[in-house]
Amino acid sequence: MEVVEMPVPQPKANEAVVKLAASGVNFVDVYFREGRYKAAALPFVLGQEGAGVITEVGAEAKSVKVGDRVAWTGVQGAYAEYAAVPADRLVPIPQAVSDQQAAAAMLQGMTAHYVSHDTYQLKPGETALVHAAAGGVGLLLVQMAHNIGARVIATVSTEEKAKLARAAGAHEVILYTHADFEAETKRLTEGKGVNVVYDSVGKTTFEKGLNVLRPRGMMVLFGGSSGAVPPLDPVLLSQKGSLYLTRPTLVNYIATREELVARSGAVFSMIATGKLKLRIEHTYPLAEVQRAHRDLEGRKTTGKLLLMP
Amino acid sequence: MKAIRVQRTGGPEVMESAGVPVPQPKPAEALVKVSVAGVNAIDGYFRDGRFRTPLPFIPGQEGAGVVTAVGAQAKTVKVGDRVAWSGVLGSYADFVVSPEEHLVPVPETLTDQQAAAAMVHGLTAHYLVNDAHKLKPGETALVHAAAGGVGLLLVQMARAIGARVIGTASSEEKAGLAREAGADEVIVFTKHDFEAEVKRLTDGKGVEVVYDGVGKATFEKNLNVMRLRGMLVLYGMSSGPVLPVDPAKLSEKGSLYMARTTLAHFTATRDELLARTRALFGMIREGKLKLRIAKTYPLADAAQSHRDMEARKIAGKLLLIP
Repeated sequence: MEVVEMPVPQPKANEAVVKLAASGVNFVDVYFREGRYKAAALPFVLGQEGAGVITEVGAEAKSVKVGDRVAWTGVQGAYAEYAAVPADRLVPIPQAVSDQQAAAAMLQGMTAHYVSHDTYQLKPGETALVHAAAGGVGLLLVQMAHNIGARVIATVSTEEKAKLARAAGAHEVILYTHADFEAETKRLTEGKGVNVVYDSVGKTTFEKGLNVLRPRGMMVLFGGSSGAVPPLDPVLLSQKGSLYLTRPTLVNYIATREELVARSGAVFSMIATGKLKLRIEHTYPLAEVQRAHRDLEGRKTTGKLLLMP
Repeated sequence: MKAIRVQRTGGPEVMESAGVPVPQPKPAEALVKVSVAGVNAIDGYFRDGRFRTPLPFIPGQEGAGVVTAVGAQAKTVKVGDRVAWSGVLGSYADFVVSPEEHLVPVPETLTDQQAAAAMVHGLTAHYLVNDAHKLKPGETALVHAAAGGVGLLLVQMARAIGARVIGTASSEEKAGLAREAGADEVIVFTKHDFEAEVKRLTDGKGVEVVYDGVGKATFEKNLNVMRLRGMLVLYGMSSGPVLPVDPAKLSEKGSLYMARTTLAHFTATRDELLARTRALFGMIREGKLKLRIAKTYPLADAAQSHRDMEARKIAGKLLLIP
């Protein structure tokens, strides 16, 4: 990743050009940088998430106008001063939400929102197990689940992260480096198990996750930070209690503009009313992007990292 | 009493008629005189050893009859009650003992044959459309083996909810039965590719839910006919078990859901069993659900009933009469 001068992009007919105020740093950026995920072509401008002000719109871009404060996710090119983005992927930022907050909330906030409100619609009184509860999505998911009125059992790797998860509203926190989360979850639920497991860790947690679900419970596998889950014999789902398995991705939960606007609006509203607290851990000048990636990959961070162009 | 006994696992011929002592109920059990026993695919799995149970054993999981004795602690049933059950091994016999909590009352308006025929297939169809995936009016469901035992009931229930039903069947004759049951569209999968047909019939959108008791043969294509965030409910495997599934596939095909369900988990409490049975019997009484009892056999002809079931030629329920 190197800093270069390049022309400001011109909007295509359906695009708008945004002057970036903040860009989010995400693991997906690391995957694209490494080549694990393939960019359309090299060279390319990294970054999938940002917020800023519209400076120019294409002839057919109807949903936005010059001067609008907007945010987006899922469009490559956000590590820059300007980015051209399809207008139907830009969502308005309400006044009560800052550019930094908006950029920090798009990917992780909407992910926490869709898994807790749609993939498995959590209900008051239900119990959810949230893995990596002090991670970027985890801290937001714990808050949302808590706000719904669900009981949250969280797993984390250190005492420090346990504190963060508790502060976010987790009722129980399991330090999986000290205690077996399967045994602990069973103990904490008096052998009944949980209604839903939210698992973004994957390989190392999946099997035991199936063992802590109650009959007809749901495994929401929405990431694989420890590696990919190997192929699974479906009969296991039946033997362990007629379980459900889903492997969702954000893009399928913001597939229409209507849904994108509704979901981002719901997240922004939680931020504006103080129900959802973002943990913006560090901001870096755009030129210090290498340091931002090193910090992220070192897994020492517990909050959101932002680049400031 | 007379019973069908299996001393070694294998084909239908391993089922033999035998005279055995009438079983005695334990304290929380009841003894039932069986008037009808249902024949189910699972009986074949126990007979051929795919599902294991100690030998020798009396097959059969489902039936209806009259309580003739109760254990000292049995509270929910009494002598003379007409009852039906599923999930009680040993039903291919003149008498069977059952834990009392598995016995449900049969209303006067239902015959023993109707009650016995409805238990496994009817309760399965009921939990599939109401709980495994709660079907809503206007949704589209793909029902495989729509003229099968569960299929014909599932189609009727899905239609009663107001869903659009696309069924698959192996022959024109079975397609006719599925249509009679209310299927909006029926694909004869031996003549047409069901993937292409479902896409055509849904304008490329796909279906909200697939109900699949077939398993191996239909699995891969199922993933291609579901709309975004659609649900695949696997409840059987008449073509063999589904091979291991890479979870990433569910994501690639549109954040899909997959469940592998069994009836026991949807009748796990006495309350749920009773509520589900009441709802089911109610539908039969009101004429909203028509059972298709295809054939009855004397108990001694159990082997023939399994041959007929496994040849897949008879559409509808097979019953044994002790």
